[in-house]
Amino acid sequence: MTAELPGERPSAAPASELAGLLAKVARGDEAAFAGVYDRFGTVVYGLVRRIVRDPAQSEEVTQEVLLDVWRTASRFDPGQGSARSWLMTLAHRRAVDRVRSAQASAQREARAAVAATDYDVVAEEVETRLDAQRVRRCLDSLTELQRESVTLAYYGGYTYREVAALLGVAVGTVKTRMRDGLIRLRDCLGTES
Amino acid sequence: MRLRRTDPHTLAGAYALDSLGDVDREKFERHLGVCEACRAEAASLRDAAGRLAEATAAVPPSWLRGQVLAEAARTRQQPPPVRVAERVRRSWHGVGWPAAPRMAVAIAGVGILVALALGTLLVNDQHRLHVDETQRGQIAAVLNAPDADIMTVPAKPHGSATVVMSHADHALVLTTARLPVLPSTECYQVWVMGTHRMRSAGRLPSPKQGMTAPMIVAGIAAGDQMGVTVEPASGSQHPTSPPVLMLALPSD
Repeated sequence: MTAELPGERPSAAPASELAGLLAKVARGDEAAFAGVYDRFGTVVYGLVRRIVRDPAQSEEVTQEVLLDVWRTASRFDPGQGSARSWLMTLAHRRAVDRVRSAQASAQREARAAVAATDYDVVAEEVETRLDAQRVRRCLDSLTELQRESVTLAYYGGYTYREVAALLGVAVGTVKTRMRDGLIRLRDCLGTES
Repeated sequence: MRLRRTDPHTLAGAYALDSLGDVDREKFERHLGVCEACRAEAASLRDAAGRLAEATAAVPPSWLRGQVLAEAARTRQQPPPVRVAERVRRSWHGVGWPAAPRMAVAIAGVGILVALALGTLLVNDQHRLHVDETQRGQIAAVLNAPDADIMTVPAKPHGSATVVMSHADHALVLTTARLPVLPSTECYQVWVMGTHRMRSAGRLPSPKQGMTAPMIVAGIAAGDQMGVTVEPASGSQHPTSPPVLMLALPSD
């Protein structure tokens, strides 16, 4: 059952680069921290900006995420997953916390319409980078419902109940599609190089 | 509750996408605590989800770099959690017990977890755990203390303990989940070890739905350690068995 195996990704090189930087950051190495910013700042900022939208708030959240990295680098445990995954989890959670706490529900509903069309925007941005092209190809390999469930949750910052409401399907269906979609995405990204 | 009615495994995708609400996430994380295969799957799905960020890279404004680096330079870093575990192993060994079981201690965002602990312990309206009113006040004080530290420690052979500690209150709140069920002739007893002596902090309440009601342990000093052993139902003067779990309490 490949579904049960976390496994190493072909793109493990940047991840281990980050793990090396984090080990130094944990010991207070400010140059290594600058290295994390230079190498991963664009990915963090891009994701935060995508979810939060507002540029000023995105800058704040990006700063929070990077300061989390600085403060908690010693808590990174390679046994629990890759360094990259750890960083993106920090970034995603911070961004999602921001949109879930800061925005009134009325604004959130207004965002729904925008988020629903987000995949096209992703597709555009994707064309510019090789990594992104691979993600796009793999997203394309998902069924429509899997893809919409995954992208609304990840890029839109919606809870699965909200995603179910947006898509007009049962919450149980959305949960299953999210899991199946991520498994397919994982297997696709893991086997392409 | 909901998680019990549905297969928790199906939540792994929504969890990896940070798409669970606080209540569902808390439940799923408890499930992860007892399901190794689920932890592996959740980690791999989280990894896959993180790759989606590759499609959205964007260059932040150039002034942000200097601001972030300057802010870091004046921000204190957190110590690694390992330090706590090593201290435990060393000193419990000194009291003649077998070498401590390996453990991992996670100290995480107190705000969320205190809410989580409160939610779990006190606001679980379907299976409310009994806590008397005076204790409830003391427990709430610790859980709400601005300096509260929260730690979760795995137990042997399974289960875990969650401790919320306030240095200012010299007290901690202890709860456990899914410890092995004991025969009626035995109990779990809690011990606090300071620099000079070990004292009993009493017996753990009997579990309901696998969880024990929050128990307040007062008179805690910086650097104390806490352990739990299996003892005869009437309790013991001194621990008579290897600890099922141990925790070095943070010293600051």
